[in-house]
Amino acid sequence: MPVTPVLLVPLLLLAVGSLVALLFARLKSLSAVGMGWLLAVLPLAASILIAWLSIPVIDGQPISFSIPWIPAIGLSFSLYLDGLSALFGLLVCLIGVLIVIYSGYYFKGEQGFWRFLVYLMLFMGAMLGLVLAGDLVTLFVFWEITSLTSFLLVAYKYKDESARRGAFRALLITGGGGIALLVGILLVGDVAGGMDYATILSSREILQSSGLYPIMVLLVAIGAFTKSAQFPFHIWLPGAMSAPTPASAYLHSATMVKAGIYLLARLNPVLGDTPLWFWLLSGVGLFTMLTGAYLGFKQNDLKAMLAYSTISVLGALVAMIGQDTSIAYKALVIGILAHALYKSALFMLVGIVDHETGTRDLRKLGGLWRAMSWTFGFTTVAALSMAGLPPLFGFLAKETLLATAIHPDVPQVINFIFPAIIVASGILLLGQASVLVYGTFLGKPADPRDPPQGHDPAIGMLLAPAIPAVFSLALGLLPEPGYEARLLAQAASAAFGDKVKVSVALWSGLNVELLLSVVVIVLGSVLFLTSRRLRPLAQSLWPGLTLNRAYAAILKGIDRLAYFATRLQNGHLRFYLSIILLGLLGLVLLFEAIPSSFLSQAAILPKVSPDRLELLRIFVLGLAALSCLFTVTLYHDIYSILALSVSGLAVAIWIALEPAPDVALVQIIVDLLATLILVLSLSRIPRLQREKAQEHNIGQSQQRSRFLPGMLRDGLIAGLAGLLVAVLAYISLTLRPHISLVTPYYAVNAKSLTGAKDIVGAILTDFRGFDTLFEIVVFAGAGLGIHMLLHYASRKAGDHEDPDPQPPPPNLHPATGVAGLPTSPLLHLLANAILPLAILLAVIQMMYGHDQPGDGFTAGIFVSLAVGFWYVVFGYHKTKEQLFWLRSGNLIAIGLLLGLANAFLGIAFGQGFFAPVNYGQLLNLPLPTGFNLSNSFLFEIAIFLTVLGSATYILDNLGRPKELDLESDSLLLSMDKEQNKRP
Amino acid sequence: MNLLSAIFIGIMFGVGIFQMLRRNVIRSAIGLIILANAINLFLFTTGAYQGAVAAYSGLTGQISDPLPQALVLTAIIISMGGFSFVLGMLYIISVRYKTSDSDQIKGLKY
Repeated sequence: MPVTPVLLVPLLLLAVGSLVALLFARLKSLSAVGMGWLLAVLPLAASILIAWLSIPVIDGQPISFSIPWIPAIGLSFSLYLDGLSALFGLLVCLIGVLIVIYSGYYFKGEQGFWRFLVYLMLFMGAMLGLVLAGDLVTLFVFWEITSLTSFLLVAYKYKDESARRGAFRALLITGGGGIALLVGILLVGDVAGGMDYATILSSREILQSSGLYPIMVLLVAIGAFTKSAQFPFHIWLPGAMSAPTPASAYLHSATMVKAGIYLLARLNPVLGDTPLWFWLLSGVGLFTMLTGAYLGFKQNDLKAMLAYSTISVLGALVAMIGQDTSIAYKALVIGILAHALYKSALFMLVGIVDHETGTRDLRKLGGLWRAMSWTFGFTTVAALSMAGLPPLFGFLAKETLLATAIHPDVPQVINFIFPAIIVASGILLLGQASVLVYGTFLGKPADPRDPPQGHDPAIGMLLAPAIPAVFSLALGLLPEPGYEARLLAQAASAAFGDKVKVSVALWSGLNVELLLSVVVIVLGSVLFLTSRRLRPLAQSLWPGLTLNRAYAAILKGIDRLAYFATRLQNGHLRFYLSIILLGLLGLVLLFEAIPSSFLSQAAILPKVSPDRLELLRIFVLGLAALSCLFTVTLYHDIYSILALSVSGLAVAIWIALEPAPDVALVQIIVDLLATLILVLSLSRIPRLQREKAQEHNIGQSQQRSRFLPGMLRDGLIAGLAGLLVAVLAYISLTLRPHISLVTPYYAVNAKSLTGAKDIVGAILTDFRGFDTLFEIVVFAGAGLGIHMLLHYASRKAGDHEDPDPQPPPPNLHPATGVAGLPTSPLLHLLANAILPLAILLAVIQMMYGHDQPGDGFTAGIFVSLAVGFWYVVFGYHKTKEQLFWLRSGNLIAIGLLLGLANAFLGIAFGQGFFAPVNYGQLLNLPLPTGFNLSNSFLFEIAIFLTVLGSATYILDNLGRPKELDLESDSLLLSMDKEQNKRP
Repeated sequence: MNLLSAIFIGIMFGVGIFQMLRRNVIRSAIGLIILANAINLFLFTTGAYQGAVAAYSGLTGQISDPLPQALVLTAIIISMGGFSFVLGMLYIISVRYKTSDSDQIKGLKY
C-alpha cells in the first residue's frame, strides 16, 4: 500500500481555510461575496488534490499515511484513501466549494458572516477527516468534531430560540450516538487487536465469532443511526432546518448525515452479512424510508419537505448496506452520488426562493416561473432527479434500488415487502418533488392580491445549485466507462468487500425494474394530481403522533433526575461520607470481592495458645481499640483527645512488637505532636462554640434521646465499614505470600550499597530516596498551606483580621501558657533544658540513623516537639521572642534545596541522580567511627530541616493566642439570643 | 492472632468512621487520626511476612519485611501533615461560620 504524506494536505488546506475565515473578521472592506469566492479556492484545491491522489485508487490501490499519536497504547493518527473515502471526500470538498460561494451571496451584506465561514470550514475539515481517517479512533475524533461544529452551524442565528433548540437537539442526539459509537469501536478494536483499517478489515472471522458481536453491531449502528437520522433518531433533522440554508444544504446533502452511511459502509465488509446486520439495517432503513417519504409529502415548508425526503433517502441507503448482494452496493454508491447532487441543488434553490420572496411556505408561494425562470429551470431538473425520472441520474438511482429489491438473491421473506416499500416511497417522493416545483413556480398563489415577489438572483448564486443540477442530468448521459463509474465501482467494492461492477448507463433493457419504474411514475403522477386534496388529508391525520413529545418527555425526565441528584447533595459532608461508604460496601458485595469460601473458613476460630509476647500484643491491641472507643464516649473534647493520644501510643507499641522500631519511634513522636497541635488548635476555638458543639457528643449529653437515631445510623455505617476492613485485614494477614520479590534485594544490598545497617532507613534515604523527596515536599506543602490559609486566604475572604499579634511589652506580661494562665517556673526550666537536648538528639539521630532507629523525620519532629512544649509553657509571644532564630520558611526552603542539590550531587560524583556517594571516604576526612559523611547523611539533614520548618510553621499558626476570645464569646451569646427570638 | 489483629483493626476503623460522622468538627478531626492509625496498621498487614527480629542487616533470624515499614513511616508523617491542615481549616470554619457544628455550616449548602 503506497504511503504518502500528501494525504494530509487536503486536511491542512481546509484547516488553513478556517484560519483565513478568521482573518476575514478583520477585513472589513471585503464583501461577503468576495469572501465566499476567495475562500472557495481552498476546498477546490483540496478536491483537485484528492482527485489526483485517487488516480491509483480507482485502479484498486488504496493510499495510506500515519503519524504516531500515543504509541504506548498503539494509537496513531492515520489516514486512508480508497474508493469509498475518495467518493465521500470528493463530495465533501466539491459541494463544499459550491456552498462557500453560495453562502457569500446568501449572507450578502451581513455583519459577522466570517463566523459562519469559520464554522463551515471547520466542519468541512472535520468531515473530510472523518472520511479520510485510517483508523477508528481518528474517525471517532473527527466524528465528534462534526457533531460540535454542526451544532455551531445550526445555531448560527443564536438569537433565534428555535435555532438554539434545534441545534441543541441535534447535538444531544448525535452526541449521545457518538458515545455509543465510541464504546462500539473500542470493542471492535479490542477484539480485532488494532484500530487501523488494515487490521480491522482482515478480522472478519474473529469479530463475528466473538460473543460481543451483537453488542458491537448495536452500538455502532446506534452511532450511525443517530448521525444519519434513522427512525427513531430522525427527529433532530427537521429541527436542524432552523440553520441558515447554506448550512442545511451542506449538512443534509453530502456531509453530516452521510457520515453514518459512510461508517456503516466502511464496516460492512467485517460486520455485515449476518442475520442481525441484515434485519437491523434493512428493518430500520426501510421503515425510515417510508416514514420520511410520507412525512415529507405532507409538509408545507419547503425546507422541511426536503428534510424529510432526505430522511427517506438515508433510510434507503441504510437498507442497502444491510444487503449482501453486489447490486445493493451499486445502488448504494449511485444513490449517494445522486442524492448529494440533487439535494444540495434543491436546498440551495429553495434558499434562493426564500431569500428572494421572503417565504418558503407552499401555502403562500406560486406562479414564480416567469419572474424566476432560471431558478425554476434548475429546480425542475433537480426535482425530476429526486423524483427519479429519466434521463436524470436519480432515475438510475431508483432503477438500481428497485433492481436490488427484486434481485433473486434477496431473501424470500421480504420478497414482497421490500419492493413494496421502495415503490411506495418512490411514489411519495415523486409526489412531493412535483408538488415542490408546481406549488412554488406554477400553481396560482394562495392570495392573488398579494403574490410573492421575486426575481432570479445574481449569476454566482444561481451557479452554485446549477452545477449539481446539471450534473444530475449530464451524469446520466455520459458515455461509459468514465472516471466516475470506475470510482463508484471502487467505492462499492470497498463497501461490499468484494468486486462490484458499476455501470451508469440509463438503459439496461426491458426488465422488471423498468416496469416498476413505470408503476412508480404513473402512481406518483396520480398522487401529484390528487395532492391538493390528499395533502390536507394527510396533515389532518394524527397531528399529535410525533416523537417530539417522547423527546421532550425524556429531556424532562433527565431534568427531574438531575434535580433529584442535586437534592442528594445536601451540603452535609457527613451525609456524603456515609453515601461513599455504603457505595463501597455495595461494590464489594456486588463483585464478591471477598471469597465466600474464605469467610466460612474464617468462622472456625483458630486455637490460640499465646506466648508472653503474644499476650503483650493482645493487651496492646485491646488498649488501642478500647481507648479509641473512649474517644467516642468521653463527653469533653479535651479528654477525648487524651484518649486518642493513648490509642496512638498503644499503636506504637504494637508496631514496635512487629518488630519495626523505626516506625514505632516515628509513631510515638508524631502521636505526641498531633496531640499537642490538637490541643493548641482546640484552644483557639471560642469556648462557647466548643461547648455548643460538644452537646452533640455521646457522653453526658442532655439530649441523648434526641441524638439516638442518628447515633444508631452512624453506628451501623461505621460498624459495616469496620467489618469490611476487618475482613480485608484478615484476608491480607492469612494470605501473606511469605515470599517477597523486592525485600530480599534490599536486605542483601542495604549494607553493601548504602552502608546502612537499618534497612528501613536505607530504603527511605537511598533506594526510594526520590519518593522521600516528594514526601517532604508534601509535608512542606502542608505547613505552607496552613500558613497561607490562616494568613492570606481568610483575610482575603474578609473573614477576620488575623494580624501578626503585636508582642506585648515584656515587663508587663509575664510568660503565660497556652490558655493565658501562668505556668510554673519548674516547667520553664524543663522547657529550657529540653530544646537543646532535643537538638542534640536530632543531630545524633541524623549521624547514626543508618545503624539505629531514627532518621531525619524523627529528628525534625523531636525538635518540633520541644518547640511545641515552649508554646505550651511560655505562650506564643515569649516563644516567638526567644526563638527568633527559628525561621520556618527559610528552613523549608533550605531543606528542599539541599534535598535537590544532594540528589544532583549524585550525578556529579556518583553514578547518577540520588546515587549513593560517601563524601567522607572520597575526601579522606577523619571522622568518628560509625559515622559516614555520605549523601544519605546530607539527605537526612534536608529531611530534618524541611520537617522542622513545616512542623514549626504549623505550631506557629495554630498556636497563636486568641485575643478576640471574649469578644467572640459575647458575639456568640448575642447570636444565640437572636436565634432564639426567631420563630 | 491474625484474627484478633484483624478484628481490632476493624474496630479502630469503625470508630474512626463513627467519629468522622459526628456533628462536632473536633470529633471529626479525632476520627481522622484514628482512621489514619487504623489504615497504617492495615498497611502493615500487607507485608509479605512477619519477622522475628527488626529489619537490620547482620541480625540472625527472620527479619520483618522492611518495605511496608518504610511506606508506613512516610505515611505517618504525611497523614500528620494532612491532619494539621485539616485543623487549620477547622479553625477557619470556626471563624467564618461561628460554629463547630458541621450541620450549622451553611455556606456549603445550596
